Amino acid sequence: MNTTKWRWLSDQIISQLQAGVQFPDLTGTRYRAVRFLARGGMGTVWLAEDTVLGRTVAVKILEVDFTTGELMARLQREAMVLARLEHPGIVPVHDAGTLPDGKAFYCMKYVQGQTLDQSLPSTLRERLRLLQRIAEPLAFAHSRGIIHRDLKPANIMVGPFGEVLIMDWGIAKIGRDALRWSGTSAAITAESDSLPKEPSVPEVPATAHGKILGTPGYMSPEQARGDSDQIDERTDVYALGAILKFLLAGDLSKKESNLKPLYAICEKAMAEQPGRRYSSVQELSDDVEKYLRGDPITAYPEGVIERTLRLYARHRTAVVLVLAYLMMRILFILFSRR
Amino acid sequence: MPGPHHARDAKVPGGINIKAELALELQGDAFPATRYSVISAARSANPAERSQAIDTITTFYWKPVYKYVRLRWNVDLDNARDFTQDFFLRLIEKDFLGSYDPVKGRLRAFLRTCVDRMFLNQSRDAHRLKRGGTLAQQALDFDEAEQELSKGAQKVDSPEDYFEKEWVRTLFAQAVEQLRVECESAGKNLHFQVFAGYDLDDSDPKPSYANLAARFNLSVTDVTNYLAFARREFRRCVLEKLRVMTGSEEEFCREAQSLLGVQPK
Amino acid sequence: MMNKILVGIILGAILGIFDGLTAWFTPEVRSQLLGIVIGSTIKGIIAGVLIGVFARKVHSLALGIVFGLGVGLLLAFAIAQMQHAHYFAIMLPGGMVGLIVGYATQRYGAIPVKQGLSAKSGYGDQ
Repeated sequence: MNTTKWRWLSDQIISQLQAGVQFPDLTGTRYRAVRFLARGGMGTVWLAEDTVLGRTVAVKILEVDFTTGELMARLQREAMVLARLEHPGIVPVHDAGTLPDGKAFYCMKYVQGQTLDQSLPSTLRERLRLLQRIAEPLAFAHSRGIIHRDLKPANIMVGPFGEVLIMDWGIAKIGRDALRWSGTSAAITAESDSLPKEPSVPEVPATAHGKILGTPGYMSPEQARGDSDQIDERTDVYALGAILKFLLAGDLSKKESNLKPLYAICEKAMAEQPGRRYSSVQELSDDVEKYLRGDPITAYPEGVIERTLRLYARHRTAVVLVLAYLMMRILFILFSRR
Repeated sequence: MPGPHHARDAKVPGGINIKAELALELQGDAFPATRYSVISAARSANPAERSQAIDTITTFYWKPVYKYVRLRWNVDLDNARDFTQDFFLRLIEKDFLGSYDPVKGRLRAFLRTCVDRMFLNQSRDAHRLKRGGTLAQQALDFDEAEQELSKGAQKVDSPEDYFEKEWVRTLFAQAVEQLRVECESAGKNLHFQVFAGYDLDDSDPKPSYANLAARFNLSVTDVTNYLAFARREFRRCVLEKLRVMTGSEEEFCREAQSLLGVQPK
Repeated sequence: MMNKILVGIILGAILGIFDGLTAWFTPEVRSQLLGIVIGSTIKGIIAGVLIGVFARKVHSLALGIVFGLGVGLLLAFAIAQMQHAHYFAIMLPGGMVGLIVGYATQRYGAIPVKQGLSAKSGYGDQ
């Protein structure tokens, strides 16, 4: 029987060994894993160093149980399409490939900051502006035929300069328009016609998607049903409405009096039927902009009194000045009559 | 350069499906066709097989038992040595493992319960078991165990956690030793030294890859690759030992997940 | 959207007319009401133009209000000086009108947009 010759392993060493065992083997790539970052859709994300350019990157290793070549090809196609989604609000993909152990990976920009569920702006105005900044890259992706499908506060990163990045496009739906637009080769474009049926979200094991797959509050009814044919931009509209609800729920630095129109926006965005929602994230964003300007919004039909109060709130100072002027005039008239 | 992430944060709930990885791991591996388990071997009719199995269990558990008894029940050195010897002798003589059912819990939880029960019985009966026999097949280095005890935690907040921790420590130490021997025989001493210089180093600040590269006259890329190799092999060693120590595939998978955050199939 | 000068003119005119009409409550000047209204309206328009031009150049609410108040008081003083009477009764409302126009031209009205330079590629001569 072997007798242990190695010295005593301290608690810290035990921890290091356990952590080390989980380190991905990036041999053969230009990356060196530094530490675990997070678990995202379909895989784990690691902080890594690009040994060629000397910069810090994030490497996502896809842990999907790819038993078919078709699914692997689809994952690689996804990375390719995302790499072409060049927008300041979408984390850029630098590289993609296969690891020695057969797992697919892609390398993206490492974003420092906090996710929306970790930190919220303190004022309502800032939160609404943030929502609009989330809508921009989403609208861009939609224009390229890509639906995120997993939008939630944990997937929204707010950088150190207030920039917003949408993360984790791991279960994005890629429409055929996206493939044609992406400029991929004719062979791949032809292949897209024989793509396997888009797997609906509930069919994918929860463990392969991470800790919060399709959190009930953010997953649209058609997603929850697994009705993938019905999934389009309005699925993301639903999620954006849920994010707005989340933004309104958190404590605000100042007590806001008129949140009804915003809740009306939420209600419209999160309507059960896609046909009753905003048709695009841009429409939702436009309504938020109207609210910020003090204009009437499409989702909330105002009564006469509410409209008057809104106009008063918007032009309060001018109204007060004019009333003060009139009051002064009346006083002059009264005094001159004496 | 930041060091590896702390294990508590690095463990990922939900596990990692590594079907492809396990296929690679088992390539050229010497696993027998039927699943060997010390649990079933310990109940074998064959005395030699039974003896071997108990030997294996003793190797893995004597230190945790000794340290546990010392700290948990505040037993002095001599009594703790006697108790540890007695426990494993009784394991054989009284066939404690006959009542163990893997479905109901882990082996180590079962053994810990046996330790507690035996201790309480002895205390109740207010007599020590005479030092009638010693475990003939292996020498237990109690002095080493006592030294280790002085380095670790000095009190037991949770008996279950403490026993588990010591068992993990023993398991990992065994795996590290196996790795060392295998690297030596394969002419990969340097691989092991790099591994020891990083993952077996608890100094503060932790050495960087560049430090190791300079120390061993390697490139940083080589350090990365050697470390990846050694970690892969270390994991294999741990899984091999774990597989032997578990009663079923399901238990093995559960333990692998809990210990290493991997889910082999 | 209206430009700031137009906002100043319209508001100055409206308040000027209103200002002039309140002279009806002073019986001794009631007979000169039309002249007062026309004069007050012109004063309001002049104030509106001056304050509107200022608002186009200077985008500061505080400065706009102060400038408006100053213009209103100055023009009202000129009117009062011509009559050598009712300085307070003329200057206070006049100042207020200037203040209101100053606020409104800063808060409302479109700012002229400068034409941008033509964009060039950042990759040097090609």
